[in-house]
Amino acid sequence: MTTSLKKPPRASGPGSFGDRRGGGRARTVSGGTRTAGKTGGRTGYAFVTPLMAVFALFYLWPVLQSVMSSFFTWGLLRPWNLFDRSTWQFAGLANYRHTLSDPDFWHAGANSLLWLVLFPLLVVGISLVVAVAIWHARRWSVVFRTVFVLPMTISLAAAGVIWSFVYNPDAHIGVLNAVLKALHLQGTLDVGPLHLKTTGQWLADPGTLNLGFYDIRLVNVFVIIAAAWAFAGYGVITFSAGLASLPQELVDSARVDGCRPLQVVRHVIVPHLRQPMRIVFVVSVIFALRTFDIVYVMTSGGPGTDSTVLGLLPWQEAFAFLTSPQAGQGAAVAVLMSAVLIALGFPYLKSMLPRKESR
Amino acid sequence: MRKRLTVTALYGSLTAASLVWMVPVVTALAISVLPIGQTRSGWWHGGLSQLTLANYRDAWSQGLSLYVAPSFVITLGSVLVSLLLGALASYAFARLEFRFKRLAYFLLLTTMIVPVQIILIPLLPWLRLLGLAQGDLQYLGIILVHTAFGAGWAVFMMSAFFADVPEELLEAARLDGASHLGQLRYVVLPLALPGLVSFAIIDFVFVWNDLLLGLTLLDRDHQPLTVGLANLQSPHLAQENLVSAGSIMVVLPPLLLFIALNRFYVRGLFAGGVKG
Repeated sequence: MTTSLKKPPRASGPGSFGDRRGGGRARTVSGGTRTAGKTGGRTGYAFVTPLMAVFALFYLWPVLQSVMSSFFTWGLLRPWNLFDRSTWQFAGLANYRHTLSDPDFWHAGANSLLWLVLFPLLVVGISLVVAVAIWHARRWSVVFRTVFVLPMTISLAAAGVIWSFVYNPDAHIGVLNAVLKALHLQGTLDVGPLHLKTTGQWLADPGTLNLGFYDIRLVNVFVIIAAAWAFAGYGVITFSAGLASLPQELVDSARVDGCRPLQVVRHVIVPHLRQPMRIVFVVSVIFALRTFDIVYVMTSGGPGTDSTVLGLLPWQEAFAFLTSPQAGQGAAVAVLMSAVLIALGFPYLKSMLPRKESR
Repeated sequence: MRKRLTVTALYGSLTAASLVWMVPVVTALAISVLPIGQTRSGWWHGGLSQLTLANYRDAWSQGLSLYVAPSFVITLGSVLVSLLLGALASYAFARLEFRFKRLAYFLLLTTMIVPVQIILIPLLPWLRLLGLAQGDLQYLGIILVHTAFGAGWAVFMMSAFFADVPEELLEAARLDGASHLGQLRYVVLPLALPGLVSFAIIDFVFVWNDLLLGLTLLDRDHQPLTVGLANLQSPHLAQENLVSAGSIMVVLPPLLLFIALNRFYVRGLFAGGVKG
């Protein structure tokens, strides 16, 4: 197993936002100007048509259908069809109105908001500390990095299953409970608004955090921890790449100037990693809002709706109860979710586009 | 003296963190190779004499074997189609000029931020209408859906690698009378091979690990391993032995690929962003 991160193949590292790679990226799409001979146009179409046809049929058209069908009442037993008027049961904005007044939607929204805050914080925090430590360590860095990157290849469904073992209420199976039992830490913990039950029901009823107007269900936290474990490797790779391009002289001169190790981290390393941190943060936010697999496997959104997230709702409304004509409503949730994601992810998307002026 | 203390602390805490990080995987692995009776009385007490592959045999014979072939068909099919169509399109995006290029590129990239849920609900009726929701044609259906939803990633990565091929080489090929297809086939593809491998691995891991599309679009005879594992997992049936063996089986193919081709995987992720 070798991870040759000390010499990244792309010297500038993870640069989807990067100014440094901007030039390279710009060439990606506009480089054709140099070769744009008489044949450019037609050949271009011929080359992109196969992919764009699949893309239009299995992405663009379904997206349009989702948007359009969210204004109709329908179920999967009798699907809405643009070309068959008999399937049109027009609902106007009723699906959206119903969704926005549905307590389940807001409950899932609140849980997704917790994901949106906690997941990126955990991913960025853990992977930043790990990457900087590995960078300092030098020796054995390949082994350490591999350990932290490895869970990235594990499917979230499998990661959820694997973490369910860790959380298993039986202290003979679940490591977490075994450790707490050995330390005699099982019981309840009340610190201010926090009400944590360390009795072992991590995926059923581990307690709440009372915000006054709303109780955060801590079961979400334990699912988020599992997801962060599976995803932190992405941050480790990205930060390691960023650190590989950190000039050693900069660190050395800071040391000569009398900076202590933690000050070097704070004043030299972290500023250098600002761009990678933004990337990891945005990608984690996108990941957090899309979440389906790991919640489905670990809790199915339960108990009750305690750990339901927005990503689960469209599926539940359309597929879990096939007989109820709620597909339109599921589509409405999907449309709302996508709107939020496009709003949040748009700057990221724009940064991946080639620069306009280079055309 | 002080410096040595710092170094020891650094390596000590990294080692401790690594061990903690491995706990979930080690738990699943240990439970999968121990008899269930041993597991229930504390799997960490288990001696090496207890090791058994019976759990794998049972998980395999109790249905998981049915999910293996679909997983490979769907994954390899999606990777191949994405490579083929993606390479063609990426050549145009990297090297040719045509109208609506920026718009097309932008639309492709939206797949990297919008949730797959946005296409999910109308997809099943749509595939039925196209005749891709029955029998083995379901494979074609889901492969095309994976190709479409992965198209942004494919073009983003591959066109970045294609753009790095020096223009002089293409010029030389053109002077020798090579068509654009010839330039792609004989100049760009060989030079961008590492990039193609990177994309193929990342796409393999991504498609193999999909749960939502497989769960929703396919009937029971065509669903992939991730769905099989999710079906095994139920808090009410205490079958930790089967579930753990199943989870290791799901994890293994991408993991082996990662171990064998680690360099390419990491390099691919440098290309920016990741599908989640």
